[in-house]
Amino acid sequence: MEETEKDRNIRILHSGVFTPLRRWATKWSLWPCHFLTSCCGVELAHTGACGYDMERLGTLNMGISRQANFIMVEGTITRKMARALRIVWEQMPDPKFVNVIGACGQRGGIFWNSYNITRPSDIVPVDFFIPGCPITPEGLLRGVRAVQEKIEGRDNTTIRFKHVELPPGDGEENRAPTTPKIFAPTPLVRVDVPRDVDWAFGNDLVKNLKAQLNGLYTSITITEKNRIAIKTTPENLVETSRKLSDTMGVDHVKSVNVIDVPHERKFMVEYMVSGYTEELMPVILTIFTEIGREAEPEITSLASLWESANYSERELHDFFGVQFKGNKGMKGKFLLAPDTPDTPLRKDFKLEEEQYTIEEGVPLTPAITPPHYTPPSSSSPSYTESELEDLKMPAYEDVLKEAEKNDEFVAFIGPHHSGSGHLRWVMRMKGDIIKDVIPDPGYVHRSMEKIAENRLYIQNVPLTERPNISDPINMNLGYVRAIENALGIEVPERAKYIRTIMAELSRIGAFFYDMGIFPLFMGHSTGFMYSFAIREMVLELMVRMTGSRCTPSFIIPGGIRRDISDDVLDRTRNFTSAIHKRLKKYENIFVYNPVLISRMKEVGVLTREEAIRCGIVGPFLRASGVEYDVRKAEPYEVYDKLDWEATTGDAGDCLGRIFGRLEEIKQSVEIVRQAVDAVQGMPRGGVISEEILGDYKEASDDIRGYLYNVYGDLVLPKGEWTSVTEAARGTVLYSIISDGESNVPYRVRIITPCWMNLRGIIEASKGERVADFWTVYASFGYFPPEADR
Amino acid sequence: MMEIINTLMETVMSNQVSIPLIEPMLDSLPEIPMLQYMVAFMLWKPIFALLICPGLTVGGLSLLFFPWIERKLCGRAQWRVGPHEIVWWLGGVIQLLADSLRFLFQEVIVHKDAHRPYFLQFPFLSFMIFLLPLLFIPAGTIVAIQTPYAIQIILALVCLFPLFILGFGWASNSRFAYIGTVREAFMYFAYEIPFIIAAIAMIILYGTSDPLLMASRQSIPGIILNPVAALVFFIGAAMATGRMPFEIPDSDQELCAGPHVEYSGIAFGLIYVLCYEKGYILSALMTILFLGGGSGPAIAGLGDLSGVFWFVVKTYLVLTTLFMLRAVYPRYRLDQGLKLGWSPMLVMAIIGLAISLVVVAVRVI
Amino acid sequence: MKMKSMKKVVGPEYNLGDKIKTNVYAVGVAMQESVYPHTATVFYPRERKKMPDNFRGFILFDPDKCISCFNCSFVCPANAIRMKEAPNKRYYPTVDYGRCIFCHFCIDSCSGGALKATKIHDVAYKDMDAMFTPTEEMIELPEIIREDKKYVEYEIKEDDLHLKRTKGEDYLFVEVPPPKEIPMVSTCIDPGSCIGCRVCADVCEHGAISASVEDGGTLRMKIDTDECTGCGLCVKECSMQILMLNKLERE
Ligand code: SF4
Ligand code: SF4
Ligand code: SF4
Ligand code: SF4
Repeated sequence: MEETEKDRNIRILHSGVFTPLRRWATKWSLWPCHFLTSCCGVELAHTGACGYDMERLGTLNMGISRQANFIMVEGTITRKMARALRIVWEQMPDPKFVNVIGACGQRGGIFWNSYNITRPSDIVPVDFFIPGCPITPEGLLRGVRAVQEKIEGRDNTTIRFKHVELPPGDGEENRAPTTPKIFAPTPLVRVDVPRDVDWAFGNDLVKNLKAQLNGLYTSITITEKNRIAIKTTPENLVETSRKLSDTMGVDHVKSVNVIDVPHERKFMVEYMVSGYTEELMPVILTIFTEIGREAEPEITSLASLWESANYSERELHDFFGVQFKGNKGMKGKFLLAPDTPDTPLRKDFKLEEEQYTIEEGVPLTPAITPPHYTPPSSSSPSYTESELEDLKMPAYEDVLKEAEKNDEFVAFIGPHHSGSGHLRWVMRMKGDIIKDVIPDPGYVHRSMEKIAENRLYIQNVPLTERPNISDPINMNLGYVRAIENALGIEVPERAKYIRTIMAELSRIGAFFYDMGIFPLFMGHSTGFMYSFAIREMVLELMVRMTGSRCTPSFIIPGGIRRDISDDVLDRTRNFTSAIHKRLKKYENIFVYNPVLISRMKEVGVLTREEAIRCGIVGPFLRASGVEYDVRKAEPYEVYDKLDWEATTGDAGDCLGRIFGRLEEIKQSVEIVRQAVDAVQGMPRGGVISEEILGDYKEASDDIRGYLYNVYGDLVLPKGEWTSVTEAARGTVLYSIISDGESNVPYRVRIITPCWMNLRGIIEASKGERVADFWTVYASFGYFPPEADR
Repeated sequence: MMEIINTLMETVMSNQVSIPLIEPMLDSLPEIPMLQYMVAFMLWKPIFALLICPGLTVGGLSLLFFPWIERKLCGRAQWRVGPHEIVWWLGGVIQLLADSLRFLFQEVIVHKDAHRPYFLQFPFLSFMIFLLPLLFIPAGTIVAIQTPYAIQIILALVCLFPLFILGFGWASNSRFAYIGTVREAFMYFAYEIPFIIAAIAMIILYGTSDPLLMASRQSIPGIILNPVAALVFFIGAAMATGRMPFEIPDSDQELCAGPHVEYSGIAFGLIYVLCYEKGYILSALMTILFLGGGSGPAIAGLGDLSGVFWFVVKTYLVLTTLFMLRAVYPRYRLDQGLKLGWSPMLVMAIIGLAISLVVVAVRVI
Repeated sequence: MKMKSMKKVVGPEYNLGDKIKTNVYAVGVAMQESVYPHTATVFYPRERKKMPDNFRGFILFDPDKCISCFNCSFVCPANAIRMKEAPNKRYYPTVDYGRCIFCHFCIDSCSGGALKATKIHDVAYKDMDAMFTPTEEMIELPEIIREDKKYVEYEIKEDDLHLKRTKGEDYLFVEVPPPKEIPMVSTCIDPGSCIGCRVCADVCEHGAISASVEDGGTLRMKIDTDECTGCGLCVKECSMQILMLNKLERE
């Protein structure tokens, strides 16, 4: 059935009088509907930008499905997005073509056993699959060429493998090994494992806390430097929190977490909180409590106290079915699609197991049940009513009703919209003024956390950079640092410097990504091109350092995968001066453009209090006047040895956010320059800590050959290990809970900056004009795959 | 019978486009029957204007190649190349041919909610209506319909355009189209008045609204005599064509192209070129009002075509400038666009008017 | 101290003069660039960007160097590598490019250097089944469509980015020396606990483990250090967890 669908387009092109003309015209005018579904979109943007310039082939990115004739499915299609894909495909005029780029859209890539993905080929007829994660722009263009060839009716095989017979043999039959993963049968899950640390302030703080919370807590433990766990009872949770908020200056929630411990019949609920005061900045207080493991366990929400917990609570309600009493969003699903399994993060929901051998009867493709609706086939070309019903997205009936009462206009923006990114906004407006925006995220929710607790620690390294492949190093660094903290490993000096260089390059890359999307939202394609040209330079350095443009997976516990060559260091050094020339032009044409300034000034203002209340992080928080930068507050790598300044501002508007980041980028360039100078003066080699290498000390300058041997059986000590890292868009928090026996984490909580910033976008755009929504949105550099994880 | 033909011939012959370069060729034509008449007919100024320049041929070619020029130029300014591979040794000139053919052969979808007749009629209708002003625009000395009220008629026709865009939006019956249409209506109010005042300033300045006369009275181009009016007119043209920074009604990233979000196939193809059509007409108007129309140093051998040449060159210059704005500016917000139209532009337009009056007064004295 | 290291950024404030100035700058850049553009485009199908030698592309396999240690399969985060039994009853890897994320963890885990990286990365498959690559097809460099006549290098010089174009085809495969040898062998740390399940012998692909009955009737597993490749499978599988990989001290 699909086969005929696939061929229908070609048939259309090859029939009628004007066949050659039709074919020729279609061939050179494939307009992809830029269906930004996932992180592969970053490379799509690069292909469209000046580095490769897809427009050369007549392939002009078009946001509007009615006018496009080509879909490039960029990676993951989640269950929620599947409908959108089908609808968009239905909206396009015949003849139309579909390419799937990125492993996620094929057999699932790194997310192959996620509970929330589907395969595009089950949803729409696909012409070509392009492997890669992400694909390279070359691969993408090869796909376009392949479609062109197909339209011409020529042979379009792009790769020919040569078959070589394997040696015949006489060996004995062997039993295949079983899984390398070790799961403790009854793991001991503790988040308050005490540790002796040299932390005088902490001891005082604990004393102080004990005095303040007299009678409210069960125990207060120092688990690590700067980490304190406070155990309390569900009844006292609110009171404890209020006390902390009132007397200690705790003003925001960094993370909310639920841990499922089925064999002890309990859920642990924890809030990681902190305050933006000088002393409290690096400290994270974990308030946790235990509740019974029922179908719908209840706990009082802290969202009224700390607004920043709001969305995370709603997300956990999706994941575990925990009811946060008092949070208004406890009805229905937030991140997940209606047909995703319920409470998927509970331990009794099992993901599909890995297969290590090929055996008869075990399919290659993991079992993924396609979404409920069945696409119409040639035998029944139109949808039935119930199928149509299934295709619909949540409609927010109550919102519509209320809006009608208030005489407001409601627009549903996204998830397929040229300016929505991969999520949906329900915008209520009165005239040209935005009354409210309701986010509908989760279109790229790929169940990162569930997957992470089913993979070896080392296998999670590539996974943790997938939320944000425009800033991969920082995402990675956070995870790796959490492991290093847990194991107490000291990273060699050279590796630290190189990591810093890479982290800052990655930050620069992410900045130019955001500052490329921002001009697009403002309708300024030159700004997009210029910033992607600079980003192309960053990627060039990345590929030379690591071998991959966007997904290096280069930082591993204890160091980096291999030493980088002097030639690359020279280039990096050159980059720090070369960037200025192009940056200057970019600034002149876009950033300092009076039209843009007038669009940004005093738009989307978040005051300091609002910003803290919404829990926004990173450069956006600093733009509102909070002087918090993890690199300063809790320096890691070599940030404390280099000379640089973090940025703040106090306007809190779009202008402040953009200029703050612009300055930050200049500082980053400065950091890179200093770090490169330092590395160039160091002896080569020795970039992986010998503590972790054990027997494999010889591999300390290149892990090649021994990655699995060294890291395969990594087991973290028991406890909760939390790291905060300053990623490009703000603080990324990883907390890994280990039971001390398994070589897979028990639970990994990832709080990405964009997830926290979502609340800020909503707040900042209220009361602004409709067009300003995109200014605000883009000024936050929102990257949906990162938010949805 | 012969008489009628003869009188007709006389009218035709009396108003011929003279091109010295091809005259010898024309002289040899009488040997071939009928062709002589046909050529004469073609070279009859009104027909020439209608069919060749500024009419269908040059207009059509502009529509076909101007988007390419725009894409190439913007591409160049953006550190890339633009359409290229289609015939790569020519830099992909026929890109737009491929695009338009593709649109032509593609399915036209009329969605369930649309008002079917209007949804389909408007693109075709508007394409026709948008061509009408060309009848009154002279290329050099060649014009299809010569009237002393040409400028007013052109302005009136230009002011019709937004109505059709409202029509698209209304017929599409979609939320984004609706917002886009409302914005279009607002923007219409923003630019129309200053735009017309600027044109009137020039009419006052030249003391005529006959484009041919206007051109002949511009020994000093209007843009030098009255730069303020020229600026207002230019900005007004940018607003009218919905170019950056005023691409407010069909802002791609906000409203998915606003009024024409639901159009597909050839219907969209027509809408896509509408904006270039508008641009062409307004640039032609600007050429007449401010750049001296077809005046310029006569090129030997071209005769009347010399005027055509200068006219086309100037129009393209204006058009290029208009479209290069895309590479320089981001988009204004609706209220900012309105504010710009109502305050600085209106003030400037009135200043322009005053300048014209002063110039006229100086002349009279 | 912390305060001092923070830099306050204030957005610009424009008066009329600045507005005109910035307008002129913006137009100036556009004009300058349309005359002398700093084009950064690689004309892909007709030319190819030269990727560095460490580029992570498609994977090749050399059966002679493989010790069937399963490391590549175990470490693969996408579970793209699954081992297939070859005619000689050894397990060799297969790669499913429908899942592979090109992290090259497999290559970095292959101690014998049997897996090798190529620079192939621009491939489009017609159907998903073809994306599965059996061992037999991984041994020689596959052929891909090459329309490129030139290759381009991005040269980042001190002043700017330059594109260096060279006529000719870029190579797609780089031979790298095998990784440093770190010989390991499996040893039994507590023979007394051995229950004689023979899992280790069953799983060993190299026949390095054999069972012998010592006098007194106790079953002893004997590990032949010369045959043992240090692949570690037996260590992983041992039901009593009494096997360990140790560094082989050669005299
Ligand atoms: S994880 Fe991201 S980059 Fe990788 S294939 Fe999927 S969408 Fe593409
Ligand atoms: S890691 Fe290398 S040696 Fe081991 S099984 Fe894989 S290919 Fe063979
Ligand atoms: S490159 Fe990575 S994903 Fe691909 S087969 Fe190797 S380990 Fe697996
Ligand atoms: S004895 Fe163990 S480590 Fe040695 S080759 Fe056999 S299975 Fe591998």
